[in-house]
Amino acid sequence: MKFSTKGRYGLRAMVDLAVHAKGEHVALCSIAQRQGISTNYLEQVFSVLRKSGLVKSVKGAQGGYILSEAPENIKVGRILRALEGPLSVIDENAENSGKSKSSIQHCIQICVWDKMNEFLNELADSLTLEDLVDNYCKMNGIEDVMYYI
Amino acid sequence: MKISTKGRYGLEAIVDLAIHLSEGHVNLKSISERCGMSEAYILQIFLMLRRAGIVESIRGSQGGYTLSRAPSEITVGHVLTALEGPLAPVACVAEKAEHACERYGNCPTRGFWESIMLALNDVADSITIEDLVDCYKERVFQSNEIDFYI
Repeated sequence: MKFSTKGRYGLRAMVDLAVHAKGEHVALCSIAQRQGISTNYLEQVFSVLRKSGLVKSVKGAQGGYILSEAPENIKVGRILRALEGPLSVIDENAENSGKSKSSIQHCIQICVWDKMNEFLNELADSLTLEDLVDNYCKMNGIEDVMYYI
Repeated sequence: MKISTKGRYGLEAIVDLAIHLSEGHVNLKSISERCGMSEAYILQIFLMLRRAGIVESIRGSQGGYTLSRAPSEITVGHVLTALEGPLAPVACVAEKAEHACERYGNCPTRGFWESIMLALNDVADSITIEDLVDCYKERVFQSNEIDFYI
């Protein structure tokens, strides 16, 4: 059971963008360099993030990406859902395809999967991008980050 | 982040086995028929569960599988971990693998992934196979009641 690279890399890239934006657009290649992720892959990830309204892009020599909202208003859950779809420990499509649930499946659903999903979504929505930026700054000895949005 | 078919089917098969324990050793064919899974796939799952000490097998014409412990002593966490490995949303937090990623020490997202891993394991360890069997019996009892009145 693992989150995909899209979710993992996307979340890290959003933290990087929030830390380094400082009111200016950030080029994907600089995020790619700092985070050790290929620029091509980041382009895919940011195109999804842009469509979800989480980041804005500007083209041109000074172009790049910037957050659409202040980091304290962006929940981690929103970023992950944009990249991964609904946060669930099981594949809802596979589970609901065709035949109706047996009694055993129904019990496992309500006693196990639903409970896990509840915690998963609660945790993801209790944390904002700003919390992750604070972590980043503490871990990397950066005093404080000013947001210009 | 998804639990694989192995984990989902395995949990269902174990609950089915627990429900039918009173009938003696349960053969895989009957589990496969009731749960609508292929017998070969269930065999694969049960070999892993046997290695993890969750089920025992007996050969012969009356042979089949039984639980190694009481259903109240087997948790969902035991079954899922045996089939899926650690319930971790990302690999590095399961292995505590500083060597797996050069960013492990100063990764801003690691704490978040760890909190998810803890929560999922708490849920899995707090539910036993007996809880699921009880839920099943309750449900079957209720649907029989409804049938009776209709």
